[in-house]
Amino acid sequence: MDLLQPAILLQLAIGGLLAGALYALLASGLNLVFGVMRVINLAHGELMIAGAFLAWLLYSLLGLHPLLALPVAMVVLYILGFYLQRLLIERIVGRDELTSLLVTYGLSIILMNVGLLVFSADFRAVPALQGAVYLEDLDLVLSKPRAVAGIVSIVLTAGVYWFLKHSRTGKAIRAVSEHAEVAMICGIDVTRIRMVTFGLAAAMAGAAGVMLTTIYSFSPETGADFVLKCFAIIVIGGMGNFVGALLGGLLLGLAEAFVSGFLSTQWAEAVAYLLLVLVLILRPAGLLGKADAA
Amino acid sequence: MQNCYRPSRATWKTIGILVGEKQMHKVSRSEQQLEMGWGKPMSRGLLRIVITALIVASACFASTLASAKDEILVGASVALTGKYSRTGQEQLNGYNMWVDEVNARGGLLDRKVKLIHYDDESKPDTGAKLYEKLITGDKVDLLLGPYSSGVTLAASTTAEKHNFPMVSPGAASSKIWARGYKNVFGLYTPAEIYMDQILELAQAKGLKKVALIHEDTAFPRDVAKAVKAKVAALGMELVFEEKYSKASTDFAAMLVKLKAKSPQVIVGGSYLPDSTAFVRQAKEYRFNPKIMAFAVGPGLPDFGANLGSDAEGVMGNTQWEASLKLPGAKAFAERYEQRFGQAPGYHAAGGYGGGQVLEAAVNKAGSLDKDALRKALSALEITTIFGRYQVDATGKQVGKPGYTIQWIGGERHIVLPQENSTHAVVYPFKPWKGR
Amino acid sequence: MRLDLSLGLILVLLAALAPVATNDYQLSFLLQLLLMVALAQSWNLISGMTGYVSFGHAVFFGVGAYTGALLLVAGHSWWAAVGWAALIATALALPIGLLTLRLHGPYFAIAMLGLNEVGRTVATLWVDLTEGGDGIALSPALLPALETNYYATLFLAVLATLAIGVVLGTRFGLELQAIREDEGAAEMVGVNTTRDKVIAFAASAVIPGAAGAVYAYYTSFIDPLSVFLPALNIQMVAMVLLGGRGTLWGPVIGVVIVMSVRELTWAEFPTLHLALLGALMILVILFLPEGILSVLRKRRGPGSTRLAEECRQQGE
Repeated sequence: MDLLQPAILLQLAIGGLLAGALYALLASGLNLVFGVMRVINLAHGELMIAGAFLAWLLYSLLGLHPLLALPVAMVVLYILGFYLQRLLIERIVGRDELTSLLVTYGLSIILMNVGLLVFSADFRAVPALQGAVYLEDLDLVLSKPRAVAGIVSIVLTAGVYWFLKHSRTGKAIRAVSEHAEVAMICGIDVTRIRMVTFGLAAAMAGAAGVMLTTIYSFSPETGADFVLKCFAIIVIGGMGNFVGALLGGLLLGLAEAFVSGFLSTQWAEAVAYLLLVLVLILRPAGLLGKADAA
Repeated sequence: MQNCYRPSRATWKTIGILVGEKQMHKVSRSEQQLEMGWGKPMSRGLLRIVITALIVASACFASTLASAKDEILVGASVALTGKYSRTGQEQLNGYNMWVDEVNARGGLLDRKVKLIHYDDESKPDTGAKLYEKLITGDKVDLLLGPYSSGVTLAASTTAEKHNFPMVSPGAASSKIWARGYKNVFGLYTPAEIYMDQILELAQAKGLKKVALIHEDTAFPRDVAKAVKAKVAALGMELVFEEKYSKASTDFAAMLVKLKAKSPQVIVGGSYLPDSTAFVRQAKEYRFNPKIMAFAVGPGLPDFGANLGSDAEGVMGNTQWEASLKLPGAKAFAERYEQRFGQAPGYHAAGGYGGGQVLEAAVNKAGSLDKDALRKALSALEITTIFGRYQVDATGKQVGKPGYTIQWIGGERHIVLPQENSTHAVVYPFKPWKGR
Repeated sequence: MRLDLSLGLILVLLAALAPVATNDYQLSFLLQLLLMVALAQSWNLISGMTGYVSFGHAVFFGVGAYTGALLLVAGHSWWAAVGWAALIATALALPIGLLTLRLHGPYFAIAMLGLNEVGRTVATLWVDLTEGGDGIALSPALLPALETNYYATLFLAVLATLAIGVVLGTRFGLELQAIREDEGAAEMVGVNTTRDKVIAFAASAVIPGAAGAVYAYYTSFIDPLSVFLPALNIQMVAMVLLGGRGTLWGPVIGVVIVMSVRELTWAEFPTLHLALLGALMILVILFLPEGILSVLRKRRGPGSTRLAEECRQQGE
């Protein structure tokens, strides 16, 4: 089989890891929200697409480079998430998980369809950062947009991880995640921490959206595909487990690349769903998590 | 969260009932229901509300039925959003131009023509539903087809169900005409001959290894089937074939595989977004075949606009170019550009030509009667600004030849067949590295 | 109960006479309305009653649609094909239920969401059987008339509603509701929760399977996207929630409201009705967790939703 050459395997692996990093950025935000407030945010993909459209607007109206649009989108999405939490999500924290599932489902439908009304179902892309770097001796191609998106994702995910581990707010977030009532007794403003958390997750989704624009074409309906992949990732990595989401993302990226390479692109699109269902049935708490789902 | 684990008083009551029934068999059904409340009779108020809602609902759709009958209504669904939105918009522009010009000429059968159109979002099932609505709800008099073979496959079944003739520009899959329907009339050269000229060119240049990629829907699959047959007939070898199901497909892994097979010819059964994305990524991955050709995509102005100099040398198919010596083609292109600020692609010309075919058929039939119209469309032989129209017994287009174009010097040129060409073929495809 | 029955009879009688008084377009609308009643009531049977919210019931609809379409093409009569569609959907629901109903709450919902995608992927990739992305266009010569489809749909809607009515009055219904309120406690007092859930789940797949087939005959065209349709899942959920889950008439009311809004908006504003549905869903869950029916009942004094009401108060 002529596909089993080291250069080709390496090429597939690099592509998979870079795509996986983007997944990880998206999924760890989703998982953060779940960890802190037990809310599964089905609108996470739409927040990502909001970031993507923001980058697209900034590029096509002002000619702003996506890397410059990145901080703008993150700030805007942070504020959006912050107030979404305050207006909507806060009302469902503590109610059963199905309620949160239904409310965020409703939110995602609204966001997607408002997106369709405003931007139509056309596919868009931001033609910045195009081209590739060639490593001639290794016979390798490093696509610029993918490399940049992968690196940005890794830096951001690591940054959020560091923030959770070492900053005061981050510690408070972890405290709320572990036990909201105890955290409250310790004087933590739990409501505010939840707002910060949701804002942070939204900002991560927005960042993923900005990076997405340089690699793929997207439409308001693209978010749904990604959020399903994110579920697969956090189910694989363990729900509420930040590091699990990171590993799950990289794993899914690799799996898709190799399935695409050795089977077909169409099968690669199904990998996430198959993994999702399989892991849920065989190991409901995820590969890293403790059993509490069944 | 908490209430999952802490049974409420009411829950215990439920459980009590279950236990009670088990132990004593004494709780009568009516008491149970009273306790649970599920069997409660409905109130009069509720009844009233249900009936009001029904009345409102029926009033709602009654309103959609009112329409003036002094105009001739022409119905169509077109892809205005979704993956075929650019091509669909062009087709609609063509329809609109035809309607306006017919009305300027005094209308059809001395009546004004009005186009009723909806957006099918590039989705076949929406298209089918919209034609149902056009036929039974809007009660249109004439039908023009949607864009893309996929949507036409679905929509034509609706038309056939109502025995309603439909003129279908914007569809080239032969599958549409292989089902024994009597009401679909095509304009486009069918998919099976799309790539023939290009593959013959490849063989003449001594190329052997062909790779084929295509979207997994009706028209691209027809193109693919024909390519496979032609490759075998020409004694060439198909070294790679892969399908993809989304317009937004990421071709990275596919390109890695393609490079490993080093084909000399790459043929794509594609539409505009996927062919554009493929060429862009092919450049990234420095995939350098000698001939690069796509079914739909390169034939459209947008292809060059999106890719700039990267479009250079890419070949493709076209149904029509303004440079063809057809009556009114050049004038149409000028009027179109004046009105829409852009040169027409072939889907725009197809839309306009479809209108012309419908017009000729109505005039020939002398009425809007469906049977007369069907007969007229079957027998009609005319040359519109789009080209020759002549269909076989199934309604499939047999009169129109196909053309091959290539992007040369930032412009689309017809390169094949020779007698229509505006430029000689540029061969081979220039490697990305030296560009 | 008597009023329920008589109201039901009146509605069915009206619906049965509808083909006489309507044109094709209006009858199409009523058919779609009844189709949604059938689907919403089926969803109600598993998710409304047990609280296991399925976000992927369209998978059974899709399987039914493909079964029905393929068997019709293969030369079976339409009613036999509908029967097979129901049977195959149910047969598929049994193992799926056994595996997924072990999962709780959101895990179950997500698993079902994923299953619908798996269904769609299979329909897309199994080209030899399903013609993949092309979908299947049924030849008009094979199709039953619109009136036939209409009566078939009416039958399914009545069947689904009757099923809810019957189950509500039985011990089985009580057990299902006990599972919703507190599965652990229900198990403690001897309810065989697994058996009950799987039975309800399988039963809830029968009618979507059959309805999928009838839908295929009605539209004459199906493809993977149009029958394994995420929006269909949303609609089932929204309609039942709006009217009142776990009730007999709630889903019917929800369907009538949503379908009327839809009819006014879908052709001109295809996305608007879905956005409205989303907003409706949020508002209902936040402010009317037991649906519109609960408001109407509350006005009559203490009554039917007391159980749920108390449960909620305690839970919070």
